[in-house]
Amino acid sequence: MHCEIKDKERAGIINPIFTCQPCGAQFASIGIKDSIGIVHGGQGCVMFVRLLISQHLKESFELASSSVHEDGAVFGACGRVEQAVDVLLMRYPHVKVVPIISTCLTEVIGDDIEGVVRKLNEGLLPEKYPGREVHLIPIHTPSFVGSMISGYDIAVREFVKYFARKTEPSGKLNVITGWVNPGDVTALKHLLKMMDIDATVLFEIEAFDSPLMPEGNHVSHGDTTIEDLRGTANALGTIALNRYEGGKAAEYLANEFDIPTLIGPTPIGIRNTDTFLKNLKTLTGKPIPEKLVRERGIAIDALTDLTHMFFADKRVAIYGNPDMVIGLAQFCLDLEMKPKLLLFGDDNQGYKTDPRLLELAENVDYDMEIVTNADFWELENRIKEGLELDLILGHSKGRFISIDHNIPMVRVGFPTYDRAGLYRHPIVGYAGAIWLAEQMANTLFADMEHKKVREWSLNVW
Amino acid sequence: MPYHEFECSKCIPERKKHAVIKGPGEDLTSALPLGYLNTIPGTISERGCAYCGAKHVIGTPMKDVIHLSHGPIGCTYDTWQTKRYISDNDNFQIKYTFATDMKEKHVVFGAEKLLKQNMLEAFKAFPHIKRMTIYQTCASALIGDDLNAIAQEVMDELPDVDIFVCNSPGFAGPSQSGGHHKINIAWINQKVGTVEPKAITSDYVINYVGEYNIQGDQEVMSDFFKRMGVQILSTFTGNGSYDDLRAMHRAHLNVLECARSAEYICNELRVRYGIPRLDIDGFGFEPLGNSLRKIALFFGIEERAQAIIDEETARWKPELDWYKVRLTGKKVCLWPGGSKLWHWAHVIHAEMGLDVVSVYTKFGHQGDMEKGISRCEEGALAIDDPNELEGLEAMETLKPDIILTGKRPGEVAKKIRVPYLNAHGYHNGPWKGWEGWVRFARDIYNAIYSPIHELSRLDISKDEIPGDKGFVTQRMLSDANLPEEVRNSATLREYTGKFDCLEALRHKTYPTFERKAAAAVAG
Repeated sequence: MHCEIKDKERAGIINPIFTCQPCGAQFASIGIKDSIGIVHGGQGCVMFVRLLISQHLKESFELASSSVHEDGAVFGACGRVEQAVDVLLMRYPHVKVVPIISTCLTEVIGDDIEGVVRKLNEGLLPEKYPGREVHLIPIHTPSFVGSMISGYDIAVREFVKYFARKTEPSGKLNVITGWVNPGDVTALKHLLKMMDIDATVLFEIEAFDSPLMPEGNHVSHGDTTIEDLRGTANALGTIALNRYEGGKAAEYLANEFDIPTLIGPTPIGIRNTDTFLKNLKTLTGKPIPEKLVRERGIAIDALTDLTHMFFADKRVAIYGNPDMVIGLAQFCLDLEMKPKLLLFGDDNQGYKTDPRLLELAENVDYDMEIVTNADFWELENRIKEGLELDLILGHSKGRFISIDHNIPMVRVGFPTYDRAGLYRHPIVGYAGAIWLAEQMANTLFADMEHKKVREWSLNVW
Repeated sequence: MPYHEFECSKCIPERKKHAVIKGPGEDLTSALPLGYLNTIPGTISERGCAYCGAKHVIGTPMKDVIHLSHGPIGCTYDTWQTKRYISDNDNFQIKYTFATDMKEKHVVFGAEKLLKQNMLEAFKAFPHIKRMTIYQTCASALIGDDLNAIAQEVMDELPDVDIFVCNSPGFAGPSQSGGHHKINIAWINQKVGTVEPKAITSDYVINYVGEYNIQGDQEVMSDFFKRMGVQILSTFTGNGSYDDLRAMHRAHLNVLECARSAEYICNELRVRYGIPRLDIDGFGFEPLGNSLRKIALFFGIEERAQAIIDEETARWKPELDWYKVRLTGKKVCLWPGGSKLWHWAHVIHAEMGLDVVSVYTKFGHQGDMEKGISRCEEGALAIDDPNELEGLEAMETLKPDIILTGKRPGEVAKKIRVPYLNAHGYHNGPWKGWEGWVRFARDIYNAIYSPIHELSRLDISKDEIPGDKGFVTQRMLSDANLPEEVRNSATLREYTGKFDCLEALRHKTYPTFERKAAAAVAG
């Protein structure tokens, strides 16, 4: 029985679990109202990220490129940012927030985006756009550092750092969600409402699931406002659900404005949701209402129907965003399952000292592996070499492992483009616990029927 | 043919010459939009980069190759599982992608060692794959890693492997088109002529070039060639095999489909090996028939082509015409990447009755616009390097019934209630071949007459809710104003093919044709 946290031994990547930092910064920036980010680099860095996001959410989001071509790569491309800002502001009169997101290309050639921003703030903006509120925010996300996870983390911090201003206490609570889906935000807001807590949700992306309306064009975007971001400095507390996505912003607010702050746990599963509510109570002094006891009861009831009969001892591999992977692993354990392999797709050194992973390492009573800087080959090759799994939890990029090795898979995380509408459903809170458990159960059931293994047992349960 | 100035782009005068409207009786001498120029930053252009043009469009469809990108992880991740270039070897090229995962220390100290280690690891992980392409990215180009030298080292160490190097970083050109060019030239320079064909089995040998087997297009077209007794020595590159492509120099004819992405290698094959180039169209009954006739004429086997044309036309024409009578007069925006605007512009009008109200190209050159504009209807709006706002403005003024474009712009169209079909990956392809063209017509029909669009226009707070129907079928919408004899025609019929029309092709056997030389010996 042992559990080890180790790095992938190979140097390279065979089928990546994560993309690079600029993607994370772009995903964060679309959460802000009246914002269009400019990615300073080659055009593919935007075009493909927009495609990826639209594959996941089945919506299009606006993100611009500075379109650096060969001349820019050789002679420097700061002028491309200047032009991009001007063109964007001229044609999108509502835009107020323009993050300038760097890439490997422009970090290697050393373009001074702070310098460009200063120049624009002193020249173009007052001269050509007097009276217009425009915020240019440099965000450094070289692709050769971290991953989309750290890119998101950095971007959230930069937005908060840029806007947060201490004025009067607002009595509100900052809730930094991390990289979640619209359905998660709905579930979190529901819990906050039940607790009667006035919160600033970063980012308010419920509207990513946007309607097709009878009249007019509807462009999908987030709803977090500049005022929301400014007000983060005046909150009575901050809860960041995820350590690795939004944790930096929470720490910044704690250090800079002495805001009481709790980071994690990611409220996946009953136990973590309980702790989340406890944390809400601690920071706001508000009691947990009877109604949530009932909601929790419904979830517990649903899980009790499934655990011993179907989930017990099922062996699971989980990959994806780190806080989500940890939350899912914890939830699986509570459901009597056995997470055998956890894969983290980047080389963040923090994983090895993450108390949640250390707790796993100390307490699991079967062989479990935790691999950092991992790729999908770490999963597939283990399967080829005999790792037996009953279920895979992760995003769509791993779909062929499930298909080729006949292992049922529940799509969860980002991106989940090969299943319909998953972004609409929460994985957090009691509602998320029900959704996840029932998805897992139904996936196992379909697999039993497809493979004709104990399919008769579903006749009665 | 005046230039068209978009309201949304009045503030950027450089855009003025990138769009034209085709006026009555006008030809291309009066105006042609500018093309293939540097993108204006911040316009929210639809363009991609030269890395993706090389790797994702042309490189990766090769099916028996380890595709390894040398750079940070994003380039690889982002160009993985976003296209439908399938293959008959269980889609190795779709399932597996490789990256050196360059980190900061490599940027500082160089990443050649990392690259080499990666190459060895990849061959070890897939011992049955002996071919590899390594792709440069922005980061590895800027730090100056010598990919060629490392490739040679690995080939020296592992004598049974062969490695192709593609130096096409993302910034190398205004769009993905720069990458098409680079990989074409790199392939002929490095690989063509380095092996001899495994076997020449026919007197008529072609390279099938600029064909990427989207949803099986290549396999559909290969079926026709095989039925004509024509040997496909290689396909550049969909469902194509690396070693077959090294032997391109032994073909008698280069049959070119997507001239935008692959004319370069055809032109080089003509110059260096004297192999003629023949441009063809796999889309549409008439162009496809003419294409097979041209190939047959070149080889002197016209009757073989004619037999296929007659058989396929008889089989599928009644089905195509069923859709044509229901699609006539519907307005379409042809907004693909490069070549499809001219592949489809005329034939979609002639054979499906659709009016092309606009063509655009993301990465095409002026030559593509020439062909596209000359083939589309009067009044059509042609746009080079379109951007988000111009696309919206065009859709709002032109009010198309359908738009053929990419997945993400399709989401933009959805929100203004314009049905979209995926012009790059197709909805329910393949769309090449006679049957494929009917499948395309069916997809268009299903999109335009989907009852969901009628529902999407109803404002339940203001409009009178009909309440008189429990459902509406596509036929109720499409046939409402059709004359009785058309509606109940005994000759026309809806598509009758299968959900998967490739499976049968993959198990098909073909007649053998007697070879001239063999016949002479026997005689």
